[in-house]
Amino acid sequence: MRRGIFEPAFRYAALIVWALFALFPLLWMVIISFKSDAEVFTTTFWFSPTLGNYEAVFKTDYFKYFLDNLIISGCAVLVSVAVGVPAAYALARYQFRGKEDLAFQILSFKFAPEILVVLPVFMIFQWIGLYDTHLGLIWVYQLITMPLLIWVLRGYFEDISVEVEQAAMLDGYKWYQIFLRILLPLIKPGLVSSALLTFIFAWNTFTFPLILAGFKVQPVTVAALRYLASDTVHYGQMAVAAAVTALPEVVLALLIQKHLVRGLSFGAVKG
Amino acid sequence: MAQITLEKISKSFGSVKALDAVDLEVKDKEFFVLFGPAGAGKTTILKTIAGVEFPDSGLVRIGDRIVNLIDPALRNVSMVFENYALYPHMKVYDNIASPMRSPLHRKSEAEIAREVARVSDLMGISQLMERLPSQLSNGQRQRTALGRCLVRRPNVFLMDEPLAHLDAKLRHLMRTELKAMQTAFDTTTIYVTHDYSEALSLGDRIAILNRGKFEQIGTGDEVYYAPVNEFVARLVGEPEINIVDAELQDVAGECRVGIRAGASIVHYPLPDDIGGKLHASGVGRRIRMGIRGVNIAYKFEKAEGYLPGSVYNLEPIGNKSILTIKTDENLFQTIASNDLSVELDTPVWMYPDPKNMLLFDAADGRFLGRHHQAQLTGRA
Repeated sequence: MRRGIFEPAFRYAALIVWALFALFPLLWMVIISFKSDAEVFTTTFWFSPTLGNYEAVFKTDYFKYFLDNLIISGCAVLVSVAVGVPAAYALARYQFRGKEDLAFQILSFKFAPEILVVLPVFMIFQWIGLYDTHLGLIWVYQLITMPLLIWVLRGYFEDISVEVEQAAMLDGYKWYQIFLRILLPLIKPGLVSSALLTFIFAWNTFTFPLILAGFKVQPVTVAALRYLASDTVHYGQMAVAAAVTALPEVVLALLIQKHLVRGLSFGAVKG
Repeated sequence: MAQITLEKISKSFGSVKALDAVDLEVKDKEFFVLFGPAGAGKTTILKTIAGVEFPDSGLVRIGDRIVNLIDPALRNVSMVFENYALYPHMKVYDNIASPMRSPLHRKSEAEIAREVARVSDLMGISQLMERLPSQLSNGQRQRTALGRCLVRRPNVFLMDEPLAHLDAKLRHLMRTELKAMQTAFDTTTIYVTHDYSEALSLGDRIAILNRGKFEQIGTGDEVYYAPVNEFVARLVGEPEINIVDAELQDVAGECRVGIRAGASIVHYPLPDDIGGKLHASGVGRRIRMGIRGVNIAYKFEKAEGYLPGSVYNLEPIGNKSILTIKTDENLFQTIASNDLSVELDTPVWMYPDPKNMLLFDAADGRFLGRHHQAQLTGRA
C-alpha cells in the first residue's frame, strides 16, 4: 500500500520538475514580452505589465515578415508534397538502376550543415536572380522539407501491397481514382504528420533566409534580429517577436501531437 | 465469348524466368485449372491475362482481340488475389461493392445493396459487413475477396488459390459452390491451385505448370491415368505415386516388368495392349515403373508374385492409413484401412497390380504407356 502512495507522488513530482524545466524558458519569454526595457533585468516576477513592446513590434512590418514566413514555409511544404508523393511512390514501387543510391542521396540532403551549402547557393541565386525572392527560398527549403516527407511516405507505400492497386485496376478504376480512393486514405497518417513536421522545420529555418534574403523578403525568424539594434538591445520587443513566431508551432504541435508519433512510426494498416 | 489464348508468352523477373514461351488456349465457358508447385509461374499467368503484369514477349488474346495494350480495367476480368488484396481502409461491404462503384461498372446503390447481400450470403459473411479487413480471420478475408470477384459478371474469372486459407470443411463446401456457380454463370474461369484434389474435382481441363513451362494440359483423367512424365505423375495423387527402377523383359514372347527385391527379381506380366506396344519397341532395357498406393495389394504372409518387404511406417490419415513398405531397394506407400494395426518392421508382401502400372522411360522420365490408356482417358 505504501508503494501505492509513493509511486504516483514521485511520478508527479518528476513530471512537475520536467514541465518546469521544459516550459520555463517559454514562460520567461512571455513574461519579458510584457516588461518595459527598464524592468527586464531588475525585476523577476513583480513588474508593471505593459503592452508597449507589442505596440512597438506591431507598428513595424512584423506581420509582413510573419506572412512571408507563412508563404515560404507553406509553399515549400506544398511543393514537397506535390513532388514527394510521386517520388516516394516511385521509390517504393519501381525497380530502376541506382534506386537506393538516389534514395540515399535524397536523405543525405539533411546531412550537410546548411551553412556549408548556403554560400554557393547564394552566389548562384545572385547570378540567376533568385536572391531575395519567395521562389528562391521555397526552392532551397526543399532541402529541409523533402527528404523527411519522401522517406516517411516511401515506407507507407511499401506497406501497401501492389495487389491492392491491381485489384482496384480490375475493379475498373483509373490510376488517379486509385490514388484518390485507395492510396491517399492509406498514406494519410504519414502524409499529414510528415507534412506538418516539415512545416515546423521550414518555419524555424534561419540560416537559409539569413543569407539568401533580407530586403524584399524576410521571414520572421530573421526579422526578429532587427530588435537587436546597434545601440541597444530591445529584449522586450525581441521576446514579443519570438513569442508570436512560436505561436503557430505551439498550436500545430498541440493539434497533431496525438497523430504525430503514430503517423511517423506506424505503416499503413495491413489487410 | 471469352476464349483466352496465350501465344509464346515469356516473362522474367530479373534473372528468374517466370514464364518461358508459354502457349495456352482456354475455351469459352471452360473451368480451367492451373496446377503446379510453388514458383511455377501460375500467378504470373493470371496476372498477365488480367493485364496487371506485362509479358516480355508474346500475345494475349481475350475473345478475338489482342489485349496486350488494353487497360486491365477494360479487359473485363475479375480476379481473386492470393493475398486477398482487400482495401484495408474499407469495410467488408464497401470492399465487395467496390467494382460496382467504379465508373466502368457503376450501379445504383439499391442494386449494389442487393448484389452485396446476395454474394455475402453465398460466402457466409453477411454478419461481417461492418468490419474492416484487419478485423477478419484469413478465411473470412479470403471469402470477402472471393465475394468482390463474384459480384461482377466479367468475361473471365481469374482465381488465385481462392480456397487455400479456408478450413477443410468450408473448403469442400465452397468447392462445390464454385463449381455450381461456374456452371450457372457460363463464364470462363481460370483457377490456380496447388491442391491436386481441387484441381481434379473442379477442372474441365488441367494444365500442369513447372518452372514457367507446361508439362501437360489435359483432363483430370488424362493427367491422373496418363501423366506425360514422372513429374506430373508425382504431382497428382496422394500419397505420392511410387516410382522405382525396373526392367522390361521378354519371357516366352510375353512382356514382363521385373522388379528387384533383394537378391531375386519378381516378374509381372504386362497386359497385352501395353505389353505388345513395349515389346515392339524393344525389351531387355531399364525402365521406371510407377504404381499408385491404391493399386498395391499387401499380405502379411509370403505369396507368389509378391514383393517381400517390411513395415516401415503406418500413418493414419482419418478414413484410411498410409502404410509404407520398405523393400531392400525402395519405399512404397500404399493405402491401408485405418483399422490396420501392425508393428514396425513386420515382414509384409505386396503386389503392384500390372494393370495399373505407369511405365516411364528410364533416361528422361517420359511416359511410355499403361494398360487401357485410351479407355481410361476417354480417348477410345
